[in-house]
Amino acid sequence: MHRFDYHTPATLAEAVALLDGFGDRARIIAGGTDLLTALKERWETPEHVVDLRCIPGLDEITHDPTVGLTIGARVTVRAVETSPLVRRYYPALAYAASTLASIQIRNLATVAGNICRASPSADTPPVLLALGASVTACGPNGERTVSLDEFFTGPGRTVLTRNEVLTAIQIPPAGSCSGAAYIKHSPRRAMDLAMVGVAAAARIEQDRIADVRIALGAVAPTPRRSAAAEAVLLGHQPDAQLLEEAGQAAAAECTPISDVRGTASHRRAMVAVLTQRALEQALAGAHVEAEVRQ
Amino acid sequence: MTQMIRMTVNGQPVELTVEPYRTLLDVLRDELDLTGAKKGCDRGDCGACTVLLDGKPVTSCMMLAVQADGHRITTIEGLGAGGRLHPVQQAFVDHGAVQCGFCTPGMVLAAVALLEENPQPTEAEVRDAIAGNLCRCTGYAKIVDAVMSVSQAAEVNS
Amino acid sequence: MSAEPLVVGKRLPRVDAIDKVTGAARYTGDYHTRGMLHAAMLRSPHAHARIRSIDTSRAERLPGVKLILTCFNVPRVLHAGQPEPRAGSLVRDQYILDSTVRFHGDGVAAVAAISPEAAEEALSLISVEYEPLPVVFDAYDAMADGAPSIHGTERNLVIPPVVIAWGDVDKGLAEADHVFERTYTTSRHVPAFMEPYICTVVPDATGRLTVYSSTQAPFMVRGTLSEVLGIPMSKIRVITEHMGGAFGAKQDLYQQEYLAALMALRTGQPVRFEFSRAETFISGRSRHPVTVELKQGVTKDGILTARQARYVANSGAYGSHGPGITWVGAAALGSLHRCENVHIEGLCVYTNAPIAGAFRGYGAPQAYFALETQMDEIAEALGIDPIELRKRNAMRPGDIGPAGTPFTNNQLPVCLDRGAARIGWETRKGRSGDLRGAEDLQGCVISDDGENLGGLARTVRGIGVACELHSATAYPETREIANAAVALNEDGTVQLRIGSADLGTGAKTVLAQICAETLGVCYEDISVLAGDTDLVPYDLGAYASRTTYIAGGAVDQAAREARDKLLKLAAAKLEVPVDDLSVQQGFIRIAGRPDAIVPIAHIVGPEQGAPAETITGQARNQPLNAYSFAAQFAEVEIDTETGQVRVLKMVAVHDIGKAINPAAAEGQVEGGLHQGIGYALMEDMVIDPRTGRTLNPNFVDYKLLTSLDMPEMEVEFVESGLGDGPYGAKGVAEDSLCPTAPAITNAIYNATGVRVTQLPVNPEHLLAAMRASANTKTRRRQVSSTDV
Repeated sequence: MHRFDYHTPATLAEAVALLDGFGDRARIIAGGTDLLTALKERWETPEHVVDLRCIPGLDEITHDPTVGLTIGARVTVRAVETSPLVRRYYPALAYAASTLASIQIRNLATVAGNICRASPSADTPPVLLALGASVTACGPNGERTVSLDEFFTGPGRTVLTRNEVLTAIQIPPAGSCSGAAYIKHSPRRAMDLAMVGVAAAARIEQDRIADVRIALGAVAPTPRRSAAAEAVLLGHQPDAQLLEEAGQAAAAECTPISDVRGTASHRRAMVAVLTQRALEQALAGAHVEAEVRQ
Repeated sequence: MTQMIRMTVNGQPVELTVEPYRTLLDVLRDELDLTGAKKGCDRGDCGACTVLLDGKPVTSCMMLAVQADGHRITTIEGLGAGGRLHPVQQAFVDHGAVQCGFCTPGMVLAAVALLEENPQPTEAEVRDAIAGNLCRCTGYAKIVDAVMSVSQAAEVNS
Repeated sequence: MSAEPLVVGKRLPRVDAIDKVTGAARYTGDYHTRGMLHAAMLRSPHAHARIRSIDTSRAERLPGVKLILTCFNVPRVLHAGQPEPRAGSLVRDQYILDSTVRFHGDGVAAVAAISPEAAEEALSLISVEYEPLPVVFDAYDAMADGAPSIHGTERNLVIPPVVIAWGDVDKGLAEADHVFERTYTTSRHVPAFMEPYICTVVPDATGRLTVYSSTQAPFMVRGTLSEVLGIPMSKIRVITEHMGGAFGAKQDLYQQEYLAALMALRTGQPVRFEFSRAETFISGRSRHPVTVELKQGVTKDGILTARQARYVANSGAYGSHGPGITWVGAAALGSLHRCENVHIEGLCVYTNAPIAGAFRGYGAPQAYFALETQMDEIAEALGIDPIELRKRNAMRPGDIGPAGTPFTNNQLPVCLDRGAARIGWETRKGRSGDLRGAEDLQGCVISDDGENLGGLARTVRGIGVACELHSATAYPETREIANAAVALNEDGTVQLRIGSADLGTGAKTVLAQICAETLGVCYEDISVLAGDTDLVPYDLGAYASRTTYIAGGAVDQAAREARDKLLKLAAAKLEVPVDDLSVQQGFIRIAGRPDAIVPIAHIVGPEQGAPAETITGQARNQPLNAYSFAAQFAEVEIDTETGQVRVLKMVAVHDIGKAINPAAAEGQVEGGLHQGIGYALMEDMVIDPRTGRTLNPNFVDYKLLTSLDMPEMEVEFVESGLGDGPYGAKGVAEDSLCPTAPAITNAIYNATGVRVTQLPVNPEHLLAAMRASANTKTRRRQVSSTDV
């Protein structure tokens, strides 16, 4: 790795001030697993690295029935995966977290970092998009909250500016009679990147799909929702044909590329199949919950 | 600009000055002569550099040494006590779980961390716990047997 | 001597296990020396180019840079990438650094600096002016008229075509009731051992070099360095204590050894040259991508009447082991099944792809993929059980094997029967591609008894088999030799010195067991020294599947010599006839006197006024070869909507003569299955077809199976004891992966009716073929096969 200076601000304000001063010459480090890859490959050569580890209050997961779940910027992927709160209220998120790399990496990597690196194939963004997550960032002008729907702007790019620090991720309360799922398609069962990732979240009301979010990974420049698939489903009674149509709509809408991990055509075909499967799982969860309530 | 860091390594307090761009793995190997952790890929993809950070397995190649400031590190050299092998190490010896041995330190530490958290894991849980440690020699069969035997031994003893 | 072995055949812990589980074992990268320099390589961004000029001036001015080597300041000595003196196949086509680069990643310049960071930074300051040359990556394209010439050879061939032939193929084909013809292609499979290529060279004041090298063949490194650099062998010591895997690929030199030695000599400082994982992929050695064109004639009973094949191996930019691999691949194609009319042609072709070389199986897995897939096709077409078909065509004692020596026995039918029982062969669907459980792939599930279960049919299962045979040695390509030396210490313990390095297989352990058994001492009392050219007797290296067989034979003979001397001495001291004496577990026993048990130390130890007796044994073993056999079975499950294949179970039954250490032998097979399953399903180093750049030189995109991906494995040994190695042993290491891929692809056929002819299995193609096949079946209600 090249030489750089390392900073450990003690407060968020100090971190923002440092970043504001350094501009494009600095990068933030939280878990570091993505940044270290970029530094070792010389994709990035910042003069300054600003570590968030001395800033208090960023490493907590909290849950409130009315506000939902809040994940601090330094919460590791492994902490989310194993959190009893996440497992209870957002099992699809816990599962998605468990599919990322290895336990060793998940003990270092943060969910916030997984979002901020904005890799098209990242594992947590699709499920976070499906769950309606938003993020809070702190900059020189104070805090702002951004829906994850508007967060990603391109591969490796987000709406955050160089002087902003993402401080927390919020997920709204899971509605009643709802379910969510994430399916990662990769050759191996561990240590792999998604060739395609599909997340679905749905809420059932009187046997009809009252709310639905489908989010896709690795088939567009950014993780993104499939409005077309959602439109097919919304307001309808789910059956096999409807789910197949939704899968076809998602496949038609996505814009995958061909690379060493898979061809565009195969990725597209997998979106169709996995969207159906993710919906089946999400709806099964919603139905189970509906039965419990009755 | 070098940084002073303080860590506890294998139970011993360590204070040293490091360049911020050096990984924990490089510092352990080059500065502290703890060469049990291996550099297999230097990208966090193989697990040969696994050490325990406050008891949890991490890839030390994907962590700056400065990030370990204030933490407790256990390397393979820190396992076992009084000249006796840790039960996981002994099980690896007894079950023929070692071939070339390059993945072994990381593999043993991943298993130790699992058993600390979950003393009687299922085979699926064992396989999950070592999924971040690639091995090219064994097909993992005897490694899984070894870890399972420690769990069963714990069961018998309890 | 006791009839029952006390040490051989036991699952003893490895001699180096404790060192390895405690982290005490020192690998090449674990040696640190004061003042050590770090080397790094600048690699070519062109797959084929002439270097016009190299400007190192900016890099030289960087603080910490000590020396920069380029093709303009290193000795220009043409040498072989496969440096052992293997007569007939030595291809000299490499320079330490050359002014022409022949693949994307070829070495251009090397820097020695005081830190890895400085060396890396210096690389970015070197300017090179290249004149790009035309490129060719495909072996067939490279043989075509007008292809760019890579080494100036005719049709870009590395060696003249290898031809193995007997009988009359035209006559055999004319006699056949059916003729099968198809082309099979295989991938760029990488050994991907965990320890990257590395060496450290330490000079002393007299210019003598100590070379710490992760090599399978320390004497080869010494000999080649001596030849290329013009240094007497007495001034080079090569040490390989522990190695993090090799699998065949660590028997070449990788430019780094020459460069580090030159740097050490010119700077007077120790130099470490460590390749990154990416460099280990790009500039390492892979299994040759091979195309096999195979045509066979059979009678209506499935008896082979003719076999004609062409084996085309893509050697990449340099010859390396290409000649040997082509020979072994062609010989394998002429083998395994009995056939009176055979014509095999082997071609080894230069291209601008990364270099292929030696990797476990050495050309045979590609051949067996073709052969054993086509045997399955024949069985299917003729309605003969695949196991029965293989038995009908089995080699018989007296038939000539691939190494040109006759079979003394063939345990393959036994392996087939035992494996069939373990996998549940009788439950296998007779009619392949019946898609039991999934009548309509897009629709509903039909149960085994025809009931429509509704819902989505998502998986189908199948069972397949494939066989192999492999020679333990490199004979006749190489005249094999191994040495061993045994010395009894005055306390009765033993020093065993062997020439070959232990690449992690457990060679030292197995050799210690043989020594303990034969000499009559305790296993724990043996200290094994290997892999130090100053201290151990000469050995060609740990390659092929030879160490237990050849080095083990040398150890057995050396231990026998020491034992005989010991018993003679004991007879004199105890004043009993030597024929009445035996030695076991460190004690000498006298026949008919169960009370008289004398520790060895009492015989060889010092007595008052007399020094200790020195008892040694030394042996040189030069056997020809021994054939091992294996049958492997796979059970697979295919997701009919994604095309993903999962191996559920592997059964491997191997005739290895005798398992000296069953745990170690099982470990060899289990590890081989890991590599073989990966070869079948997902391992492939991919290069950009336009630029030749390697696209996946990392463990994310070059996919090694994890613990979660490995199936249940059952390994069984047929211990016929019929090998002529020590205690009846033969080889096992390479055999373990030779039949794995075709066993899996045959199981895929059994499940889906889709014939895989290209490795690795491509889920997208499999899916398309399954759909096509299912549609055909729905329409025509008959078995059809589709190729992938």
